[in-house]
Amino acid sequence: MNPPIITLDNLAIGYDGQAVLSGISLAIARDSFTALLGANGTGKSTLLKTLLGLQPAVAGQIKMNATGGTPVFGYVPQAIQFDPLYPLTGFDVALMGTFQRVGPMKFPSRAEKDFVRECLHATAADEFAKKKFSQLSGGQKQRVLIARALATKPDILVLDEPTAGVDVAATHSLLEFISQIHKERNLTVLLVTHDLPLVRKHAQQIIWLHNGAVLHGTVAELFTPERMAAIFEMEVG
Amino acid sequence: METLKEILSPDFLLRNSVYTSVLVGFACPLVGVFLVLRRLVFMGVALPQISSTGVALALSLPLWLGLKMDASSEQTEHLLAFAGSSAFTLAAILILAFMERRGRGLPEGRLGAAYVVSAAASILLLSKNRFAEMGWLDLLKGEIITVSNFDLELTGGALAFVLLILGLFSKELLFVSFDRAMAATLGKNVLFWDALLYLLIGFTVSIAVLSVGPLIAFGFLLVPALTAHIFARNMKWFVILASVIGGVAAFVGFWIAYAWDLPVGPTDVVLLGILYALGFVVKKIAALAG
Repeated sequence: MNPPIITLDNLAIGYDGQAVLSGISLAIARDSFTALLGANGTGKSTLLKTLLGLQPAVAGQIKMNATGGTPVFGYVPQAIQFDPLYPLTGFDVALMGTFQRVGPMKFPSRAEKDFVRECLHATAADEFAKKKFSQLSGGQKQRVLIARALATKPDILVLDEPTAGVDVAATHSLLEFISQIHKERNLTVLLVTHDLPLVRKHAQQIIWLHNGAVLHGTVAELFTPERMAAIFEMEVG
Repeated sequence: METLKEILSPDFLLRNSVYTSVLVGFACPLVGVFLVLRRLVFMGVALPQISSTGVALALSLPLWLGLKMDASSEQTEHLLAFAGSSAFTLAAILILAFMERRGRGLPEGRLGAAYVVSAAASILLLSKNRFAEMGWLDLLKGEIITVSNFDLELTGGALAFVLLILGLFSKELLFVSFDRAMAATLGKNVLFWDALLYLLIGFTVSIAVLSVGPLIAFGFLLVPALTAHIFARNMKWFVILASVIGGVAAFVGFWIAYAWDLPVGPTDVVLLGILYALGFVVKKIAALAG
């Protein structure tokens, strides 16, 4: 296994100093495809926000080990969260991925715009890049958002339930695509999802949150009939 | 057409009023688009009214302190009004934005209460001020007939500053408005950019209220942006179209008001309303035509 890009050391996460989940110690390997699983209310979103630096940890440490220091997160949020009032095209949205490199009082250069077009092409989103983002289908929006995440030149691609609101065919094609770029670009992927069959097919590592416990292991280790029965009994209970 | 020629003449007596009106018309929609996109329309109603209270309070201070104000102190009076307007607007927008971020309570309720209390406070302050009839009420009503060179320069300079800051940081202001989580993961200081946007909105509102009054300031903040939104295909066109609608409506409104002897501000707002309604009709017809 590759060395870790993120190490969580006795981490406690929560809001306003109150831990909803504590004692989390695990490592996410560089170039791995990790799925973050768990029912609603188990702390998935809180863990994700803490990893992304959107909220502070209650206790413990997060160690980042990217080549250039702090890793760049290519964050792909749920497409349904965006306000349709914004008259932005798919290209405008994808261009936001360059805004870390293009500082204040500067505008994206031709080279940066060409790079964004490449990212849109890589995600097969170039066809609808000129259309309004708000008018795209769920699957098309996700492709634009993945292109935006790739435009950040990320160390880790973080996808928050990318198949929410996406039909079955588009879900399948989206996950195939994420798997493909993971392999082609040796990209570390952290996927938050509810979809067990997708996880079984695409992920290598799993972080499973339920009932205040954190399970971490490979698909083979966690998707055994005994483990699954134990987990689902706990979830039903 | 004779009236138009007269208005466009460099010797036109009310030229400063035309310039001020058009400047406000062009500039207000530039920050108004952010109020619309962030769904802060009610803030656009409350802020100009709060700004007016700041003006009324600032203009009452010399009376309370026993200072004499005469015709020669017009510049001091306007600077005082500008200070009062800016202080109240900026304080209000920062407090309201902070409470909005906390996400507790009822935001519409807070804005409604701020609006009605500040409107009442303005009236109370001026009712106890014996100099109110010396033109101060006109200032609060947005009477844009007599505008001095000093007022025009103050308005022009302030709005040019707003335009410059918006131009330089439009990328960041749009990014944190559209997707604050992504902006934060890419290291953007979301609080700083939010504060800058709110300060720009507050500053523009206080200038607009001093120049054209609260009702008209609200009209120029929101209606051009709402009209432009009907046709906007991308962000650049949205902003440009909103600003052009505001500027052109301000000029045409002044022309109509001058030709038919109507009050300028209300004429501008009604004209903006007609343009908004026409926008819907044109959009519907275009949709039906396929």
